Amino acid sequence: MEKIFLMVLAFTFLVSGCNFNGPEHRDSKFALVKKTQPAPIRLSSHPESESISGQLRKDVLGFDSIYDVAIIEGPKQTLIAYKVRHLHRFKMKKIEKQLTAFLKKRYPRRSFIVSSDYKIFLETVRLQEDMDKHKITTEQAKKRFKEIIKLKQELT
Amino acid sequence: MANKNKNKTPEQIAYGQLEKKHELKRPVLKNCIRAFWVGGCICLVGQAFTYFYIYMFNFTEKTAGNPTTATMVFLSMLLTGFGIYDRLGQYAGAGSAVPVTGFGNSVVSAAIEHRTEGYVLGVGGNIFKLAGTVIVFGVFSAFVVVLIRTVIMMWGGF
Repeated sequence: MEKIFLMVLAFTFLVSGCNFNGPEHRDSKFALVKKTQPAPIRLSSHPESESISGQLRKDVLGFDSIYDVAIIEGPKQTLIAYKVRHLHRFKMKKIEKQLTAFLKKRYPRRSFIVSSDYKIFLETVRLQEDMDKHKITTEQAKKRFKEIIKLKQELT
Repeated sequence: MANKNKNKTPEQIAYGQLEKKHELKRPVLKNCIRAFWVGGCICLVGQAFTYFYIYMFNFTEKTAGNPTTATMVFLSMLLTGFGIYDRLGQYAGAGSAVPVTGFGNSVVSAAIEHRTEGYVLGVGGNIFKLAGTVIVFGVFSAFVVVLIRTVIMMWGGF
């Protein structure tokens, strides 16, 4: 028994040792564990078209089962990544359906990509942080945005 | 009970009663608790690996399941080889056999057991002795479930 315990302990140290060394994102470290509430990102190339991300965020957070949302307003599409409350995760598909229907009704002229995946959320938060720190240009951000969409469309 | 005792001699029945008196009671609740917490710990490690793959590599929640399964099976294979997983299995029972790690254990333990019979007929012929049932019934039950689902869909169900 002691041996097993030691092995587990050693393994934990091993994993935690190489953890979080890679990307230097400080706030996004815990993006999956705690509430992040990132500010919406806007990558639209038409400054005259009005931004809806603020309103959008309020609308999405209006859902009882959703407690955290990250939004990227791209040139053509808007990405919404959200986190679902733990016990509501059983009804994940239903929530996605409801959200899509709601968005279609409320913003009929926009096209949305909706995702409850943690990875999409995490990448959105990382992108937002990089943009805040002016590490990347808008062009690079657009490229990253495309990559996130690609990741979303990936199948198992 | 009466049916069972039909073909027994009086001595056998008497012995059966004596046996029952001295038989140790199975600690069902204790076994359940052990299985619960060890199985839970294994799943916790798996979840940690899933998060690790999501954070460090380009895996989404959907795709991170595959590398996690592979890692867990590989780890349990190693632990079986070192003789640790067998002890864990003795302690936790179904808690160590039901998660996917039990699959790796069943493959490697069969391979170790039949090593003396040679590589081809021993290891090669017996390596899926235990895991084969998992594969066969997994595939079969998946087939049945999909069949039912297809029939319901054709009738205009969901």
